[in-house]
Amino acid sequence: MEATERTTYGILAQFDGPDKLIEAAAKMRDKGFKQWDVHSPYPIHGMDGAMGEERSRLGLMVAAMALLGGLGILYFTYWTSAVDYRFIISGKPYFSYIAYIPIFFAVCVLLSAFTAVFGMLGLVNSKFHHPVFYSDNFAKVTDDGFFVSVLAEDPSFDKVQTKTFLEEIGGTNVEYLEGDD
Amino acid sequence: MQFDRSTYRISDAGTGIRNWLLIAGVGLIASAAGAFVDPKQFFFSYLTAFAFWCTLALGGLIFVILHHLFGSTWSVVIRRMSETTMRTMPLFAVLVIPILIGIPWLYHWADPSYVAGDYALPKKAGYLNVPFFVIRTVFYFAVWVTLSILLYRASLKQDESYTRENAKYMRTLSAPAAILYAVTITLASFDWLMSLDAHWFSTIYGLWFFSGAVTAFFAYTTTNVVFLFRHNILKEDLTPEHFHDIGKLLFAFMIFWAYMALSQFLLIWYANFPKETVFYLARWSGSWRALTLSIPIIGFAVPFVILIMRITKRNLNLLAGMAWLLLGMHYVDLYWNIMPNLHTETVVVSWMDVATMLFIGALFRWYYLRLFTQHAVVPVNDPKLGASFSFVNQ
Amino acid sequence: MLGNPGLHDVTETIAGLAERKETPIWWWVAMGISTPIAIMLLAVVGYLIWNGIGVWGVNNPVGWGWAIVNFVWWVGIGHAGTLISAILHLLRQKWRTSINRFAEAMTLFAVMCAGLFPAIHVGRIWVIYYMFPLPNQMAMWPNWRSPLLWDMFAVGTYFTVSLLFWYTGLIPDLATLRDRAKNLTRKKIFGALSLGWRGGNRQWKHYELAYLILAGISTPLVLSVHSVVSTDFATSILPGWHTTIFPPYFVAGAIFSGFAMVITLAILARIVMPETKNYITMDHLEKMAKVIMVTGLMVGYAYSTEFFIAWYSAWEYERFAFINRAFGPFAWAYWIMITCNVLTPQIFWFKKMRQSVVVLFIASIFVNIGMWFERFVIVMTLHRDYLPSSWGYYTPTWVDIATYIGTFGLFFTLFLLFLRFVPIIAIAEVKAVLPHAQPHGHH
Repeated sequence: MEATERTTYGILAQFDGPDKLIEAAAKMRDKGFKQWDVHSPYPIHGMDGAMGEERSRLGLMVAAMALLGGLGILYFTYWTSAVDYRFIISGKPYFSYIAYIPIFFAVCVLLSAFTAVFGMLGLVNSKFHHPVFYSDNFAKVTDDGFFVSVLAEDPSFDKVQTKTFLEEIGGTNVEYLEGDD
Repeated sequence: MQFDRSTYRISDAGTGIRNWLLIAGVGLIASAAGAFVDPKQFFFSYLTAFAFWCTLALGGLIFVILHHLFGSTWSVVIRRMSETTMRTMPLFAVLVIPILIGIPWLYHWADPSYVAGDYALPKKAGYLNVPFFVIRTVFYFAVWVTLSILLYRASLKQDESYTRENAKYMRTLSAPAAILYAVTITLASFDWLMSLDAHWFSTIYGLWFFSGAVTAFFAYTTTNVVFLFRHNILKEDLTPEHFHDIGKLLFAFMIFWAYMALSQFLLIWYANFPKETVFYLARWSGSWRALTLSIPIIGFAVPFVILIMRITKRNLNLLAGMAWLLLGMHYVDLYWNIMPNLHTETVVVSWMDVATMLFIGALFRWYYLRLFTQHAVVPVNDPKLGASFSFVNQ
Repeated sequence: MLGNPGLHDVTETIAGLAERKETPIWWWVAMGISTPIAIMLLAVVGYLIWNGIGVWGVNNPVGWGWAIVNFVWWVGIGHAGTLISAILHLLRQKWRTSINRFAEAMTLFAVMCAGLFPAIHVGRIWVIYYMFPLPNQMAMWPNWRSPLLWDMFAVGTYFTVSLLFWYTGLIPDLATLRDRAKNLTRKKIFGALSLGWRGGNRQWKHYELAYLILAGISTPLVLSVHSVVSTDFATSILPGWHTTIFPPYFVAGAIFSGFAMVITLAILARIVMPETKNYITMDHLEKMAKVIMVTGLMVGYAYSTEFFIAWYSAWEYERFAFINRAFGPFAWAYWIMITCNVLTPQIFWFKKMRQSVVVLFIASIFVNIGMWFERFVIVMTLHRDYLPSSWGYYTPTWVDIATYIGTFGLFFTLFLLFLRFVPIIAIAEVKAVLPHAQPHGHH
């Protein structure tokens, strides 16, 4: 493969520890970058504020799905036991809603859990094929490495200036994320 | 009120606190009048009011005990408030006397001729008899008052200077205290409330009573935190993070109470066993039905939906509103447990309900505020105080 | 955590355990014992399905035997795992990070063992789909009023949510294994399993909230599961079974036995994998011993309340059921239960006892035995009902015993596989609570 064919997808810079990373994140935010992220082996408290990130909307999604599931199972138990196949068991009313509380609860919880996990997987925008994986150094991110990545799609991205900026704010091992596909 | 942040003390408590005594006096006169007009109604109203305010002190006691046992950080901010609530216990040791006097009006098992003609009560007369009842109640208060005073005194000692021995003493005392507490509060709930209908029994009753006490106590504490904040006390130290945390706990305690109440109801409803269903059947007649329905709806469903939202826990007005609602519903819950034994057909609201609530409530509030304003509003020498002030929710 | 490890040390130690090339001898020995037992379970279950549940000791009047005892016992053990992950997470107890992965795995495997029993107990397992709300040839729907159906929903939900919770926690650690993989096969496997995790803060923020929500819903879920299990008994009108304290009492018992099992397994793990000693410390064991003491007192509270109310009810059947429990033909089981569950944990009042691995191990085994007997005692209430002419006694058959032993084979086989191939401690979570992990001024 010849070097000229390679496309630059972004820049990756390594930082030394969580303190440096959070400082760098605040500077990146102030510089007005959009398509960037910080990467760390574990979640860092206060990073959302430093990055200017809004709160996750996952809670709302979960609440909505729990409500939907709850209403759904309520109607379903009603329809099956009081409409579709009426049957008296242990002298209880057809629609014994009190006895359906455990089922109602279980279904609400089940749907909440599915929404929490799959909603999260959707929101985190995980990709098997992401530009950061072009860097070999990036393997440290799940060990002890702290990184800032900027993608080329960012409007303020500039191959030279962004790299200089990342070095200025304390980044080391600054490298282009380049691939040939 | 004037607050001195360097010592965390209230430098000038103002004269407002004394007004509570005035209200209590009015309540006392009205209650006393009621006792002559209709003693039966009076004693039932009094028992309800007593149970309501006493459960706050009981909730405070267990909260302090658990705080010491768990050594948790977040609760340090409200530790002094909890201790003050707990320390009102001697007041209730006095206020329980009218109930002991009222035994013949309150409890049908105290009537020998009634017991003699009954199929079941003679078999439990060994437990349900007047002398033993009085002895037990005296014992409960002996335990609770002793524990409250010991724990409170040790805490004040910590305000002077922190010593490891003192902290260890509070922790060591809390372990047996928790066991004594579990036994006494269970039997107290059986004695004072469950035996109002001496035929009926439910093994979860003690836990239901306990869960209601803790929830009510926590709701009361929430209103106090908001009260302090509005009086510019701890204003620099309390952040939305604290309110958020308090809101979460209020939510959790409410669910804990609902779980106990539901467990009792679901099992009795399901088994449909006449000996037990009488309890709910009595509360399903006439206007009692509306009150019965209000408990799961207004006492649980509505605050559940509101408290689960993040904004509620970070909005003082909403949070205080929910705390007041839960306090109110705690009264309804107790009323609903006690009153159907008097007014079997339908709800009859009496002016004595109000008078007794005013009397005990105002006295309690006066006692609470007086104690609270005399000492630092937080345990100033608790090593975890700083961490408790600065903590952040996830 | 002991030894004050750095970020890289944590990765090396924990991921290293899952990656090692040489499988240790103890692992083969343990596998060599547990796998044949698991295979025996298969054989016994096959035998049971072929012949019907008549091969068990169940008969009138004791129509529920070991199967339900084992079911409740295993589900109860599972609960500690969820509690450690969920409630302790909500209570911000940092010490949980060392043991939560391990405890959650225990939950999953215990619930698998538990689920087996009701499934084979239905008798005609090939029509078990009747339990599901599926349109069928009889146009019938499940009986939503039945506690047994609640059970299916509760335990099914519990297993699913536990699996999701466990997997969510694993994602960052699987990414660690991916990034450390030395060969392409491992890289591909862990690459696929870690779902392209790249540790971005825009990922962590959703991830952390998802984790918090899962913890938030798992907490009431775990309480509800054993409460629902208790309704299998408590919704009946049988004296000794129908009592309102059952839901919280069962939950306390579940936590009690579950923490005992966590202690048993943690001590075994410390012995066979000394590397874990810095993570699963004496301090953890001591904390769990305290939990056992507290929950032991709670079950003691429940036993006494039941007894007192049986007397207080002034109802001869209720009184008989409890006196018969303590002094009837199954009194031996009752007193084993009291000794193991109420008396044994009291030794943990002494710090010395909480810090002795030997005492902890023996006591945890005692508690597990005691909690098995607790359910046995409850089920055996059946042996003397209202009519003395129908009284009887219950004796298990070899099939009962073999099935129960077999589930240990299944449990330990799965657990050993977990110990060998999965990071047994939550790497990312441990890192987040290391002393210098968080920026200054933020924590």
